[in-house]
Amino acid sequence: MLVKWLDHQTVDEAGADASPLLRLSGITKRFLTVTALQDVSFDLRRGEVHALCGENGAGKSTLMKILSGQLLPDAGEIVFKGRPVRFASTPQAQTAGIAMIHQELNLVPHLSVAENIFLAREPKRGPFIDRQRLHADTQRCLARLGVDIEPGAIVRTLSVAQRQMVEIAKALSVRAEVLIMDEPTSSLTEAETERLFEVIGELKRAGVALVYISHRLDEMARIVDRVTVLRDGRHVSTDDFAATTVDEVVVRMVGRALDDKFPPATRVPSRDVLLSVQNLARRGVFEDVSFELRRGEILGFSGLMGAGRTEVARAVFGADLPDAGTVRLGERELQIRSPRDAIAHGIAYLSEDRKGHGLALNMTVAQNVSLANMAGVANGLGFIRFAQEASVAQRYVDSLAIRTPSTRQVVRLLSGGNQQKVVVAKWLFRDSHVLFFDEPTRGIDVGAKYAIYKLLDELAAQGIGVVLISSELPEILGMTDRVAVFHAGRVRAVLDTRHTNSEEIMQHASGRLAASAT
Amino acid sequence: MNDRQKDLFQKFAALASLLGLTLVFAFVSDAFLSLGNGMTVALQVTSIAYLGIGATCVIITGGIDLSVGAILALSGVVSALAVKGGAPVPLGMLAGLLVGALCGAINGLAITWLRLPPFIATLGMMLVARGVALQITDAKAIGGLGDSFAELGNGSLWRVVKVGADGFPDVSFPGIPYPVLLMVVLAVAVAVLLNRTTLGRHLYAIGSNSEAARLSGVHVRGVTLFAYVLSGALAGLTGCVLASRLVTAQPSEGLMYELDAIAAAVIGGTSLSGGVGTISGTVIGAFVIGILRNGLNMGGVSAFTQQIVIGLVILLTVWIDQMRHRR
Repeated sequence: MLVKWLDHQTVDEAGADASPLLRLSGITKRFLTVTALQDVSFDLRRGEVHALCGENGAGKSTLMKILSGQLLPDAGEIVFKGRPVRFASTPQAQTAGIAMIHQELNLVPHLSVAENIFLAREPKRGPFIDRQRLHADTQRCLARLGVDIEPGAIVRTLSVAQRQMVEIAKALSVRAEVLIMDEPTSSLTEAETERLFEVIGELKRAGVALVYISHRLDEMARIVDRVTVLRDGRHVSTDDFAATTVDEVVVRMVGRALDDKFPPATRVPSRDVLLSVQNLARRGVFEDVSFELRRGEILGFSGLMGAGRTEVARAVFGADLPDAGTVRLGERELQIRSPRDAIAHGIAYLSEDRKGHGLALNMTVAQNVSLANMAGVANGLGFIRFAQEASVAQRYVDSLAIRTPSTRQVVRLLSGGNQQKVVVAKWLFRDSHVLFFDEPTRGIDVGAKYAIYKLLDELAAQGIGVVLISSELPEILGMTDRVAVFHAGRVRAVLDTRHTNSEEIMQHASGRLAASAT
Repeated sequence: MNDRQKDLFQKFAALASLLGLTLVFAFVSDAFLSLGNGMTVALQVTSIAYLGIGATCVIITGGIDLSVGAILALSGVVSALAVKGGAPVPLGMLAGLLVGALCGAINGLAITWLRLPPFIATLGMMLVARGVALQITDAKAIGGLGDSFAELGNGSLWRVVKVGADGFPDVSFPGIPYPVLLMVVLAVAVAVLLNRTTLGRHLYAIGSNSEAARLSGVHVRGVTLFAYVLSGALAGLTGCVLASRLVTAQPSEGLMYELDAIAAAVIGGTSLSGGVGTISGTVIGAFVIGILRNGLNMGGVSAFTQQIVIGLVILLTVWIDQMRHRR
């Protein structure tokens, strides 16, 4: 009964129903003195994927929070299926048929898939949960999506992609007609992204209207019908995707033309080896990993999700201990037992999970910058010199162009790109000369990405060895000097970036080419 | 409001409620606002404050210490037994202090090396320490400890006594009791530690995000261990001071004191989720509890009603704190 709607709402394949299913008009929202949205209009048709683009702070999330009942607008109107509506809470919006899938997935990790999908709506027999029906209904939901997940599986044990499918199944089980997806592909592999797009295609055919928020503009072309751009809380444009280009969308988002996605290289990689890793292994995770990092170069770590890139970086950094292998800094063999040891040798690792592993979010910019090098701002007795700490932080705020009202600002309140720069400042202040950047541009604006790329190049130009771990091939091709391609816990190839292309890298990453090295 | 203003607001709110309470009680009872009663309150507050200072450090790291009430009983009886056994008083008290620090170290090791949740590790220690205290004393109080043992808890600095014309001594200034002096010194020292030293900064960093702290090279285990050792040592000190004040060590001393300590920290704005807290706030929190007890006592309110009132005050202040953090 919960999935029956899929059958009778099917629209023809030719295109979306022209009359809007949902229309927001004149939406305005203020927070104290800040106007987050000013007279924004947005509409959604049955069976379309409508992309919502804009830099961080443009008002995308605020608009979607209003649509999904998390916030009430100060002014404006929402018309859903021809009737004006007002959602005071998420359950209200859900009951009406509007569901949102958050970037940070909202599942209970210790419950099963079935228990999550029907959380607070469990089918009951008397006072007890009807387990058989719970599982049968779940099975049907998942089968409709064409995904192969056990209803009894505990969510904690699932991959991010699988969890996302569970979220989608959950949204559909409440008969959602409008589905809002916030950065759904940000942590998916290529194959998983492919599968997600197939599911999105099926949802479109079933008449579901999707709002799609993503920073990955290139991949949107495959699924998006229309695109709306917001900038500084105002509506900029709404177009058929076919009638515009990604470049045009970017220009509207940032309000100026971006000449290049990647800055010109100013670095000159040297021949001398800075860091040499040999036969590094961690049982069941990666084995026989060897690579060299040269002074002043950017070395890419490419590969599919789970190929062992992050794990190798963490092992070199001492965050997880390897079982075998050697790490040499110049001529010297290092004994790294903890991050403290690695840091003492000038090796730093910038986690892909900025908020979870990189920053103390409730502490200030200055406190985060000095965290890895307290001795640098304290006297011999361990007393902090506050004036010095503030001036150090200010120096990095200036040199890295960190946008913050002051060095006393709490890091939580900064944008993603600026948070990333604070992490970089922390390691520069520690005088690190080997930097592992793990997905440094994930979830960061187009404009801010360019700044991060420029920073990577400048760091390398200063003679620092930079390792760039990235799932985005254009980033690898645009930013690195050499690239180590990982597959199933092994380095399959180390390629010269100038003489390779995305096909060759993908061949190695998927394990279809035999191992080779240059 | 930015965070700085919010912080001031929170502190001001706690301080305002403290002044409000004082005013109300002064109005209700004439005897409340006298120098003598002020000293009584200050003395009563000292033990909550010592324990609260330790609790603040532990809670800032995101932990909790439930064992301090039991540790103070154990430390008290150990120092008393040592003195009874012929040790000089300072040495006996040092033994009590060290026992407290040792218990704290065991807590810390259980948490950092055995990776037990702080709640469980210190719950276990609470039972063990209390059990040992009862065992070694046969559940009997130890009295007759002599005048020098009583000095720490009952003596005071700058006490001015004049011998009157009638030959009787006349106390013209009661002096500052040593326990109060100790409280001020400890509060200042730990506040400086938290705000001005790298160790203090690391305590906050661990509570704010322990993984980020570890990956930044902070010695997370060592620093966490320190917080529990400090909490244990302060509990040991509290045990000695209490035993000295009563000139008796009781193995059943300090029941539920850990909850007063946590309450003082929380009323003072320390967040149980870690990363947030100040010593000044905790001391204010300790005084809120102390003045409530004292004022309600003087107003003739029954002990049962006092519990109800203090419980409600805790709920109210934590609710205000939550409101402050909601966006």
